[in-house]
Amino acid sequence: MTRYLIWIFLAALPGIVYAQQVPKDSAAKAASDTIPRGTPKNLKQVTVSAGAFEASDKAKGASLTPMDAVTVAGNNGDLSQALRALPGVQQIGETEGLFVRGGTSDETKQFIDGTLFKYPNYPSVPGISQGARINPFLFKGILFSSGGYSALYGQAMSSALILESVDLPEKSSASVYVFPSNQGAGMQRLGKDNRSSFGVGLNYSNQTLYNALVPHVPDYFQGPSYLEGNANFRIKTGRSGMFKVYAVWSKSSVGLYNQDVDSAALRSGYLVKGSNVYTNMSYRTALGQDWKMETGLAYSNNKDKRVVSLVDAAEKPATLPEVPLTLKHNRSDIHADFAQARVVFTRFLSGDQAVRFGAEHFYAKDAGVYRDSAVAQTDQLSALFAESDIYLTGSLAAKVGLRLEHTSLLEQWSLAPRVSLAWRLNDESQLNFAYGLFYQEPQNEFLYRNRDLSLSRAAHYVVNYTRRAHNRFFRVEAYYKQYNDLIRLLPPDAKSISTGNGYAKGVELFYRDKKTFKNLDYWITYTYLDTKRDYLNYPTELRPPFAAPHTMTIAVKKFFPDWSTGINVSYALAAGRPYYNIRYSDGWQLADEGTTRPYNVVNLHISHLMTLFPRWKHKDFSGFAVGVNNVLGTKQVFGYNYSYDGQHKMAVSLPANRTFFIGFFMSLGIDRTDDFINNNL
Amino acid sequence: MKKTILSLWLLLSCSVFAMAQSLEDAVHKLDGAASVKDYEALEKTFVTLTGQQPNNWLPWYYAAYCNAKIGFLYQEDGDKIEPYSVKGEEQIGRAQSLLDSTKQKQELSEVLTVASMVNRTKVFINPMTYGRKYGMISEKYLQQALQLVPDNPRALYVRAWVKYHTPKMWGGDKPLAKELAEKSLGLLAKDKAGAVPHWGKAEDEALLGKFR
Repeated sequence: MTRYLIWIFLAALPGIVYAQQVPKDSAAKAASDTIPRGTPKNLKQVTVSAGAFEASDKAKGASLTPMDAVTVAGNNGDLSQALRALPGVQQIGETEGLFVRGGTSDETKQFIDGTLFKYPNYPSVPGISQGARINPFLFKGILFSSGGYSALYGQAMSSALILESVDLPEKSSASVYVFPSNQGAGMQRLGKDNRSSFGVGLNYSNQTLYNALVPHVPDYFQGPSYLEGNANFRIKTGRSGMFKVYAVWSKSSVGLYNQDVDSAALRSGYLVKGSNVYTNMSYRTALGQDWKMETGLAYSNNKDKRVVSLVDAAEKPATLPEVPLTLKHNRSDIHADFAQARVVFTRFLSGDQAVRFGAEHFYAKDAGVYRDSAVAQTDQLSALFAESDIYLTGSLAAKVGLRLEHTSLLEQWSLAPRVSLAWRLNDESQLNFAYGLFYQEPQNEFLYRNRDLSLSRAAHYVVNYTRRAHNRFFRVEAYYKQYNDLIRLLPPDAKSISTGNGYAKGVELFYRDKKTFKNLDYWITYTYLDTKRDYLNYPTELRPPFAAPHTMTIAVKKFFPDWSTGINVSYALAAGRPYYNIRYSDGWQLADEGTTRPYNVVNLHISHLMTLFPRWKHKDFSGFAVGVNNVLGTKQVFGYNYSYDGQHKMAVSLPANRTFFIGFFMSLGIDRTDDFINNNL
Repeated sequence: MKKTILSLWLLLSCSVFAMAQSLEDAVHKLDGAASVKDYEALEKTFVTLTGQQPNNWLPWYYAAYCNAKIGFLYQEDGDKIEPYSVKGEEQIGRAQSLLDSTKQKQELSEVLTVASMVNRTKVFINPMTYGRKYGMISEKYLQQALQLVPDNPRALYVRAWVKYHTPKMWGGDKPLAKELAEKSLGLLAKDKAGAVPHWGKAEDEALLGKFR
C-alpha cells in the first residue's frame, strides 16, 4: 500500500527549503539577460471559494499546496486517504474513497484535467481499504469541493475532486525505490528545447511476504498483489498550447478467507481480480487574445471479477441449509467501457471577468455477470454547461452557472443551477456563499436490475468564512444539504424505486499555522455532522452507518534541517458510528442497533535524507523512510456484520492493528554528462 | 539679457542640485529606515523621483530595493508579499534597462543583487510552491552579480544570507555565511556615502549578530 510513498519524500523535500540548485545554463548566459518584467495586476482581488479546499502550486502563505495536501501521515499513497485530514470527510477505515458530508463514497467523483476518472482505486474488498491506481503527485492543482462546486462538473451529489495534472517537469530525472513489499522505478525525460517531455513508470506491490511477517486476521489465498505501469507525453504547441497524454494500466489480485458469520466451522472466501486501463488526452490553447479552449478525451476499460464462496476446513465448497445459496456463493464478472469527450471555451472579459461554456459526452457500457445474473447496459450521457465569473464590485464576486444533462439510460433531463458569491471583508478575510443542485444516476448495482429509476438529487446551501494572515489560515463553513429521489428497496424481492430522501447539515472548522513554530507546520480540523436518510431498506429515517457526528483531525509535519530528517504525524478522533441490523418481516424492521466505539488513530512517518554521490552536479536525493499506521495499536471497530438469523454479529476491524513500512529510495538527474566533465577536468 | 540667462542658468543648476539633493536625501533616509511603513513611504518618494529623473537608474533601483526590503520584513506573512514582489520586479527591470550593460559593470552588479533579492521575496510567499522556481532565478541573478563584481559587498551579503538560511543538504553553510558577511562588512567600510548604493552595514551586522 506504500506504492507511491516514495514520492512523498522525494517530491516534498526540495520544496520544504528554499531550492538552491542553479540552472544549468546560468554560468554560460551573459549577465545582460533582461530581468523579466512583472505585470502588476489587481492582486488583492476577491476569489470565489465557498465549499472548496484548493491546493495549488500557486498557494500563498498558509494556503495548501498539493504537497501539503498529499503528505499527510497515513495516506497510503492515496490522495483520497490524505484528504481525510480535511474537514467534511468521514474517517471510514474499512473502505476506500471519500465520504463527504453525509454522502457515500459513490457521491464523490474525481476529475483529471476535466475528464472523469471513473475507477480511482483498485476494486474494493469488503472490510479492507484498497489503494489508489494513480500517483497522487501527478497533480499541480487539487481542488477538493465538499459542496457547491462548479457547473463544469456533474454526476456527483456530494463532492468533486478536481485535479489538474502537471505540465512539463523542471528537469529530467530517474528514481527507484525498494520497500519490502513494494518496488518501483520511473523516469522523466525533458526534451532539449524544454518544450516536450515523456516519462514511464512501473510499480509492483506484493503483500505476501509482509503478511507472513506481520500477524493479521484475514487468511490470504491470493496476493494481495498490484502491478501498475504508466506513461506520459507532454508537448507545448505554439505560443500557448499544451498537449498531454497520460496512460495508466493496472492489475490487481486479492483473495482472502474470513471466519463466516453464520457458522463457526466455515469460512467465507472473497476473490477479486481487477484490471484497468485509463488514458487521458488533453489539449488547451489560447485562441487569440480573448479566448481559451480546453479539450479532453478519456477512455477507460475496466474488468472486475469477483467470486464469493463458503468453504469448510479443507477449503471445499460448503453450504448452510438455513441461508440462501446465492448469498454465500456467487460470481460477478463485469466488463466496463467508458469514454468521454469534452470541450470548454472561455471568453475573457474586462476586469478579469469571464464566461465559460462547453459540452461533454459520456459513453458507458457495462456487460457481464452480476451475482450470477447476466447484465448489460449502455448509457449515453450528454451535458451542456455555462458559467460566468462576475465582479459586481471590487470586493463582491459571483460565479453563476447552469448545467443541462440528458441520460439515455434513464431517459431523463436535468437542469442544475449553481451559484456562488464571495464578499471580501478586508485584506485578510472573506465571506462566501454557495448554492447548487447536483444530480446523479443511481449506482449500477440497482440499474442492472431496474431501469425504471430516476436521477437522485442533492441541493447544497453553503456559507463560509475565511481569514488568511501571517502564515495562518482559518476557515469555518456551515452547510445544509437536502437529498431527494434516493434509491429505496421494496421487499420482498428488493425491487428499487426512487423515492428516498434525506438531509445533512453541519459545521466544519479548519485552522493551519505555519508561523508559530519554526519548521513545524500543523493543521487542526473539526467536523460536526448531523445527517439522516430514508433510503435503501431503512424502516425509518436513520443516521447512516458511515456518518459520525463529531470528527477531529490533526496533521503535523516537522522538518529538522540540520539532520535532514522529517517527521509527519497525523491524528484522527471520530465519535462512534451507528450500526443496524435491518430484517424483513412484514416490512423492513430494525432488529438491532448500536453505536461503535470511537475511532482513534495516530499515524507516524519518519524520513531521513542523504546524498550518496555529492560530487554529481545533479546530485542524488536518497533516503530511508519508516512509518507505522495506527501506532498505538488501537482496536478499531467500523461496524458489525450480522448473521442471517440475526443472532450473531461480527465486528468489522482492521486486518492488522498496526501497519509498518520501511524502505530505501533514490532519485537523480539523468543528464549528468556536464557533471562528469566538470569534475574530471 | 545676460542677466536673465545667468539667472536661468542659476535656477536650472539649482533645481538640478535640488533634485540630486532630494535623491541623496531620500537615500540618506533609507539608511535609517527599519519598518515596512518607512520603506513604503520611501518607495513612493523614489517612484516620484523616477518621474523627475527619467534617465537615472537609481530611483528605480531604490524603489525596487524598498519593495525587496518589505518582502524580507514580511517573510513570515506569505499572503502579503506578492504585490511588493511584483512591483519590485518591474522597477528593477526598469533600472536595468537604463544601464549600458557593456560598460556599467558595477551598476549592473548592484541591480542584479536587488533582482536576486526581489526573487527571493517571491520564495517567501510560499517556499513550497514558489521556492524551486524563484529560488533558482534568485540564485542566477546573484551569481551574475558576483561574476561582474566579485567584491560587491551587497551581493556578498545576499550570498551570506542565503548560505545562512539554507539547510546543509541544499548547500547551506553557516561558517561560510559568517565569512562572507565579514568580508562584506570589511568592504563596506571603504564604500562612500551619497546616492550610489552603499547599504549593507546594518544587514551584515544583523546577520553576524546571529553568531553571537
